[in-house]
Order: sequence, then C-alpha cells, then structure tokens
Amino acid sequence: MTDLTREGIKATVGEEMVKVTVDGQEFEAPKGQMLIQAAQNHGTYIPRFCWHPRMRPVGMCRMCLVEMETPKGRVLITACTNPVADGMVIDTKSEVAKKAQEGVLEFLLINHPLDCPVCDRGGECPLQDHTIAYGPGESRFVEEKRHFEKPIKISDLVYLDRERCILCARCTRFSDEVSGDPLIEFLDRGNFTQINTFPDQPFASYFSGNTVQICPVGALTSKAYRFRARPWDLVSIESTCPHCTTGDRITVQASQNEVLRFLGVDAEATNWSWLSDKCRFGFEFIESPDRLTSPMIRQEDGSFTEATWTEALELVASRFTEIRDAGKGLAVLGGARGTNEDAYALAKFAREVLSTNNIDCQLDDGLDPQFLAATADRARISDLDSARTILVWGPDLKEEHPTLYLRVRHAVQEKGARLVLIHPWRNGLDDRATHKLTYRPGSGAALLTRLQSEEGEVATALAEGPLVALLGRTGYGEDGRLAEAVAAHVRSLGGKLLPLARRSNVYGALDMGLAPSLAPGRATTDNPGKNAAQILEGLAEGSILGLLMVGSDPVRDVPNGELARQALEQARFVVALDQFLTDSSRLADVVLPVEGFAEKEGSVTNVEGRVQKVNRVVPGPGQSRPDWSILDDLSDRMGRSINLVSAEAIAKEIATEVPAYVGVTWDMLDAEKDGVVVPLPEATQPLVYLPADTPGKSFSGELVLHYARTMFDDGVLMRHGPSLEHLAPGAVAILNFDDARRLGLSDGDQADIKTSQGSARLTVRIDPSMNHGLVYVPFNQPGIPSLGSDPVVTVTKA
Amino acid sequence: MSEWSEAVQERARAIVAQYPQRRSAVMPLLFLAMAQDGYLTEAGMIEVAEWTGITPAQVAAVATFYTMYKREPVGKYLVSCCTSISCMLLGSDQVMHALEEEAGALHGQVDAEGLIGVEHAECLGACGGAPAVQVNYELIEGVTPDKARQLVQWLRKARPETVNTDELQQLFGGTTSFEWAIKEEVGAVGPYPAFESFGSTAPVSADGTES
Ligand code: SF4
Ligand code: FES
Ligand code: FES
Repeated sequence: MTDLTREGIKATVGEEMVKVTVDGQEFEAPKGQMLIQAAQNHGTYIPRFCWHPRMRPVGMCRMCLVEMETPKGRVLITACTNPVADGMVIDTKSEVAKKAQEGVLEFLLINHPLDCPVCDRGGECPLQDHTIAYGPGESRFVEEKRHFEKPIKISDLVYLDRERCILCARCTRFSDEVSGDPLIEFLDRGNFTQINTFPDQPFASYFSGNTVQICPVGALTSKAYRFRARPWDLVSIESTCPHCTTGDRITVQASQNEVLRFLGVDAEATNWSWLSDKCRFGFEFIESPDRLTSPMIRQEDGSFTEATWTEALELVASRFTEIRDAGKGLAVLGGARGTNEDAYALAKFAREVLSTNNIDCQLDDGLDPQFLAATADRARISDLDSARTILVWGPDLKEEHPTLYLRVRHAVQEKGARLVLIHPWRNGLDDRATHKLTYRPGSGAALLTRLQSEEGEVATALAEGPLVALLGRTGYGEDGRLAEAVAAHVRSLGGKLLPLARRSNVYGALDMGLAPSLAPGRATTDNPGKNAAQILEGLAEGSILGLLMVGSDPVRDVPNGELARQALEQARFVVALDQFLTDSSRLADVVLPVEGFAEKEGSVTNVEGRVQKVNRVVPGPGQSRPDWSILDDLSDRMGRSINLVSAEAIAKEIATEVPAYVGVTWDMLDAEKDGVVVPLPEATQPLVYLPADTPGKSFSGELVLHYARTMFDDGVLMRHGPSLEHLAPGAVAILNFDDARRLGLSDGDQADIKTSQGSARLTVRIDPSMNHGLVYVPFNQPGIPSLGSDPVVTVTKA
Repeated sequence: MSEWSEAVQERARAIVAQYPQRRSAVMPLLFLAMAQDGYLTEAGMIEVAEWTGITPAQVAAVATFYTMYKREPVGKYLVSCCTSISCMLLGSDQVMHALEEEAGALHGQVDAEGLIGVEHAECLGACGGAPAVQVNYELIEGVTPDKARQLVQWLRKARPETVNTDELQQLFGGTTSFEWAIKEEVGAVGPYPAFESFGSTAPVSADGTES
C-alpha cells in the first residue's frame, strides 16, 4: 500500500526536552518543536505571517527572523522553520533582528495598497499590527505599486483582492494540506505572482471560509461579512457551533444586536479553529426577516393570525389537556437543535405533563438512541490523532460531519494512520483511504460477515490497533442496525467508536431523555413510547391525535416526507415551537416563536459526550421566548407544573438529577477551556449499551437507492441565509453507464425515480464511478419531493 | 475522457509510468500538451490535471511559473535571443533588435503569418559563445545582427520541418564555446521543446539516421 503520509518540513515533537535561551530567558521545550512555538509558549511572541500552528511551516514571509548564536557568530534564522535544539541561544530583539524585521515589512509594503480605511481587515489585520509593532515607520518606496483588478469573486462566498495579498501561502496550504481541495494556487512568477483559481473553476471548497479567517491581510474576504462592521465595534462571545454534532467552538460576533460573523476558535478537543462553510456562514438565519416574532393561530382557511401569548397558550393547553385526558395519544418530535436545558424541560414536559413516552428528537434518519447515548467504548475525537487504523463506515464525513472529516484527513496524512473507508460510492475521503470498499446498500451485512471471517488486507488492517471507528448510516436506505453490528465487531477487535448522528445537539437531547426508550441521564424508560416513524404513522392513521414539534421540520427532514405531510394533515392538533414557518409548522394549528442560537444561554453535548456552553449574544426577535419558559407556562396551564424558573436553574437541576450529568455546572463549563466529557468520575451512567451483532435487514433489487445528504441542502437554516441558500447542488439521479444504457437513458435525460414511499422526476447523470445497480440521489434538494427510506427503486425514462 | 489521440495517450501513459507518483509527471505532460496545440491551452492543462490526479489550479501553478510553457501561440519557429550579461556585453541588444525588425514581431509576439515568434531569454548557458540565439531551443552561438536577419529570412523561405543545431550553427553561427560537441542527429520539429519523449523531435531510425 502506498504510504500517503506526505513529507514536508516536519519536525517530530518528542518527549525529550532541550534547554533554550530566548532573549536571556532560559526554558525547556520539547525537542523538535519549532522555535516560534516554543518561544510563544514561554511568553515571547515572534512576529509572523505565514506560520500557522495548525499547518506545516513554509518559511515564506521571513517575518519571523531572529538572531541565533553559533560558533561562527550570530546569524539570522527563521523561527518558524527551525526546531529548538539543546543550548540554542536566540535574540529576538537585537538590533540586527529588528533591522531584519523592519526590512521584511518595508518589502511587504512595497506592493501592499494603503486602503486600510476601506479594508474589512482594518483593525484586526496582522500586517497592520505588525507594521506598527515591528515596522520601520516609513518607506523609501516611491514607485508605482503593482495593480490587479480588485476584488475578484473566486467563489460564491469568497472575494480575493490580489493587490493586498502578501503571498504567505496560508490559503493555498490550507486548501492543499488541511481541506484537500487545492483549487487556489500561486500563479505566475516573480513580481507577477498572484493567488488565483483556474479560469472558470471557482474556489468551490466546503471549507473556503477558513482561508478568509487565516489570511493575514484583507486579501480574502467573505461575501457575508464584507463592509458590515469594523472589528472594534464587534461584541465577541465564545460559543458552540449550532450546526454539526462535533461541538465546534466558535466566536459569535455581533454589532448593535445583530450577529455578523462566526469565527472558528482553536479548541484542541474539537475543531482546531476550522469550520465548514455551512457552519461559518450559517449565522445569517439568526437575523432573517422571516423569523417569527409573535404567536400565531391558524384559521379555518389555513392562514395564520397573530395572537397574544395568553390566547395561544390557553388554546394549546386546553386542546392538549383534552386529548391527554381522553387517553388519546400525544407525541413530541424534535428538540435536537436546542440546548440541554431546553431538552430537559421538553422531556419533563412530555412525560409529566403530556404523559407520553412518544418522544423522538431524531427524525427517522439516525440510529438506535441507546446506541447513540450510552455506547460502551466511546472514543474521543482526539483518539483519531493517535489511531493506527481508522474505520469510517457511515455518512460521507465531508458532507455531514465536516470537522471530523478534517480530523480524519489530518490523522491519515500527517500522523500516518490507516484509513479503511466503506461506503456505497464516492466519498470525500477517497483520496486518503488506504483501503476503500464499496457495496450496495442492503448487502452491508454480507460485507461485514466477510470482514469478520476473511483473512484479507482489510481484516488485517482492522485487527491492528489502536482502532477508532466512526459509524453511522451511509444513506437513508440503510438499516441503522448495520452500524450496530459493525460496532459489535469493532468492540470485539478492541476498538473504540463514535456512533454518528446529525442535528447539532442530538446527543445532548438524547442524554436528556428525548427518545422513546431513554430517561434523562442515559437511563432506560420502563415502557418505551413510539419513535419518529411510528409517531408519524400513528398520526396519519389516527391512533395519535396531538403533536408538539420543537424546532423540527419533519416534512423536509424525515426521509419519508410524504408520510410526515399526511401525518400533519391528519393530526387533530399540532403545535410548533419554531423560529420560522417551515413546510411543517405551516401545517400546525399554533406556532410559537422561540429564541434560537445566540439568543439564549445553555449547554450542549457533542458526539463524544463533551458538554460545552452556548451563550447569549443578542436578544431574540419580537416576542420570542426560550423553549423552557413556554413549556413551563403550558405546564401551569395544564395543571401539572414542572416548576422551571430559568435556564441556569434547569442546569442546576440537571447537575443533580440527571445521572450521567451529575456535577456538570455552568461554572465548570465556563472555567474548562474545552468543556467536560460526561459522565464525570463522580457520576454514573445507568445504561451501558453494548451493541449486538444483529445484522440489519438485507434486501436487493435490480436497482438500489443511495439516498444521502449533502452539506448544503434545502434545510430551513440554510434557506434563510442569503449566502448559503443557493449552494444546494440540486437534485439529480446518478447512475452507472451500463444501468443507464439498459434503461435507455443518456446523460441529461429526465427520469422518474420511484420507491414505495415517494417519487420524483430528476435529471439523469451518468458517472462511471457509480456502482452497478446503484442510483444516487441527494437528499432534501430544493423543490424535490422526498423518496423515503425504502431503498428499492425503479427508474424509468420520462 | 481524453481528447488526445491514441498515440499521444500512449506516450502520456509511458511518461506517467516513469514516476512513483502520478503527480510527478506534470511537467513532461505539460510539454506533451503543448505539442498538441502549439501552445498550452486551458483544455490542455485540464487534460494534464486528469492524467496526474491534481487539480487544474495546481497544474496552472506549475505551467505559469516556467517561461518555457507557452500559453500563447509562438509560431512554428520560436527564436529566442539571450539578453543576459555575457551576451549583452557582446551586443545581443542589436541581435535582438535585428530579429524583431526582420520578423516584424516584438518580444513575446509572433509575426503576421504566425510563423516566427521572437522572445528574449535569460542566459542560455552558452556564455562562451555569446551572443547566443535558439530556434525551437536548438542553439546557435556567435550570432551577429546580420546573421540574425539572414536566419529569419531563411526560416521564412526554407521552412524546414526540422531545425538542427549543427546545421544552424554552420549557416548562422560564429565563435562557439567549445569544439567538442558530438554531432547531433536529431533536430526539433517544434513546437517546444525539442525533447524526444515529447514528440517534438524528428523521429530517428534505429541506426541513428533520420528517417
Ligand atoms: S491571499 Fe491571504 S492567505 Fe492567501 S497568500 Fe495572500 S495574504 Fe496569504
Ligand atoms: S513566519 Fe517564518 S517565514 Fe513566515
Ligand atoms: S549570457 Fe547569454 S548565454 Fe549566458
């Protein structure tokens, strides 16, 4: 197998310590660490532009020149490419070092325009700051600066001003080394060198926004933030990203009560400062004019009229009480996008006030809640860094778990881990996979049996630990139990695992008991209720009458969207707690406006069980309220008060009442940089779930559907963000050449795609990399009805 | 799916096979692409990206760095005049001027007919025989302005399929660096550069004579 680790200037940082003297201060640093980092760790900041702690050094900008003593006299070295060595003596502030730094800045400013007053970076610009701190004060350059068209749009999200660029190669290294899609490069040579894309091939990377964050000047700017604010006007508050389940740390920045930007924070445990574009630019929905601002009640004719909170809550309370007291079914869908505190309130409300266990925060697209919440041998994200073998058998990480994708890439490329990748089709990690297996959904169990029994390369690779497995459903046709069977095999090999689900706080919501089979704190309930699919069926056939939706949009978000629509239409009484009118809440009888991300304080839990804070930065719009307070109010009106007074009080209740969360307080979360992983040593976890090797259902057909998500789709948060709303790739049906020919289809034809649960007319694309007998359709694309989770599909020419 | 002819693809496969990693073949493949169209087109760079498994942007980064990858048509004969120090001291400016005037094309341009391109070049490694000129990278040393004019006239008239350094030196050259050179059997057929494996040299039969 080819070794995919790429060699660069890469010093291995070991255990051994060496003595270094920087500016007269002697300290010890691990051998192999770059001088610039070692000095920084001991309080000496060496100026830099190209060096970035999460990328390989290149020594491009020369800003980090310092003086080193050698037997032959003092010499200038770049602190970013020279590892510390025993006895090294460094002067960062000598006359010569200062002169060198001044010289570098004078050179960099030769071509850099003086447009700071109209530059987005002004006020937070490393070049500006370094010029003031280390620059010569004036320039001897009187000639004409070089000129480029300003700025050019290199993607839907990013603009490039080549005049401002100082050619540090941070952006190009990021896209090559970190995200693996080198679509921007240095073109031309010498004085004409510029960053650019290939003609007509935009910088269409899922991670392009990171280059804007790390560009040390204002050369790369983002559409979403251009000319919106000056940095000194921004309020910055740290929080946790509301999009993925990785729990990426971000800084939320707002001006005049308007959220204007998310920045990635370098959290060692999670995102290392990186964010996907969906996360980075997925803040615009907060300020959307479509946000709901007052309670609304649906009229006979289907239109909504605004109501007071009292009117709306009285109506909800009386109808829910009626249904409950008549012994007819009630159910709750959603709650995975809020905080743990809101989830706890919802679970309590459902069980104590609605008297139901029909609760599901997953929308029929996930895994067994017990597996997700309480799996034994759960890995930490950081285990990837030291893994010998990584198994990814689940969703395409690049599409659905972008920062995990970056972490896996890094582990393979920089740490030499081996990657076993099992997926129906092309996958974002293909170019880093040491072993790639493709299969048709429905035959996963057979493939697993082969892996368990066979000798073979893949089985051998898996047997060699440390093994970390990332497991989930590769698409909606796949049976969730397959992931559990794989998990059982991974456990038998001594590996650790991360079971993957989507929706930002799904793990926290499950931990708070938002599942038919779970009680708060990773415990089981006595008489489990119905799950999302069963709830929807129950509503459609009339065995369940009332539904409470909390931040969920089943019509768009459940694989079988048609069933969800029928369910909502048939239901006797539906209430939605939502930020927007969605395809689902539009069908509700009462819609109650809630505060959303950045508008409320609380905690959230990520894929590894790490609990972190989210914080309030701006007020919610209009009369919106936090979920817990609406539920508390309703509980009073329904005669069974749940007695909640504030999110913080709920957090305290969780810290005493919820077994796996005992001892987790907000103070603790605010004090610990990367939050804490539950359960803490003093807490217990009543349920320890051991996945069983129960192979999921097998099925086959002439054609099988691979129905999976893309990063950008028609999800409600994206639909309400001007930067992201156009990025959904759109619906197509991708087929292999032979299958297409057999069906009489050629590239670009229209075809009817039909399963037992839905049908859609789509454009056919022929892709030679597609497996035989497989049709790929991206999930939830604008204007396309859903196809459901039945994987057997027919395709006919339209 | 390649736009290249089967024969060219064959050569591309052979080039790629020479390297442990596909991406290392980018430079020779760029020459091959250039030989197809007479210069490096965007389509050519995309083709090379497909062969090497890197992105077109990465291919362009390489292609735009080196001046010997021509991204505009340069004619059937590319005449390069060295204007670096040694040649300049011995009058290459006049040689360059003569070339430009006779061809009717300035540096970086091609004559009206699209036959002869003129450029000035950095040191051609023939300082001992300065001033030096190349036609399709075949070297001539000790060139005078008059000889330079004659060279252009001759190219226009004779329109040789192949140019060969020995022949050019004899017709238009003067003092050479060394007298040791082995007689060169093959010459360039252009476009550029004249390396056998890229198909821009005259085919040679097994016994070394031109076929
Ligand atoms: S665009 Fe910014 S990050 Fe990229 S090379 Fe230029 S200065 Fe560096
Ligand atoms: S930071 Fe060291 S050379 Fe740029
Ligand atoms: S200076 Fe002309 S060949 Fe070297």
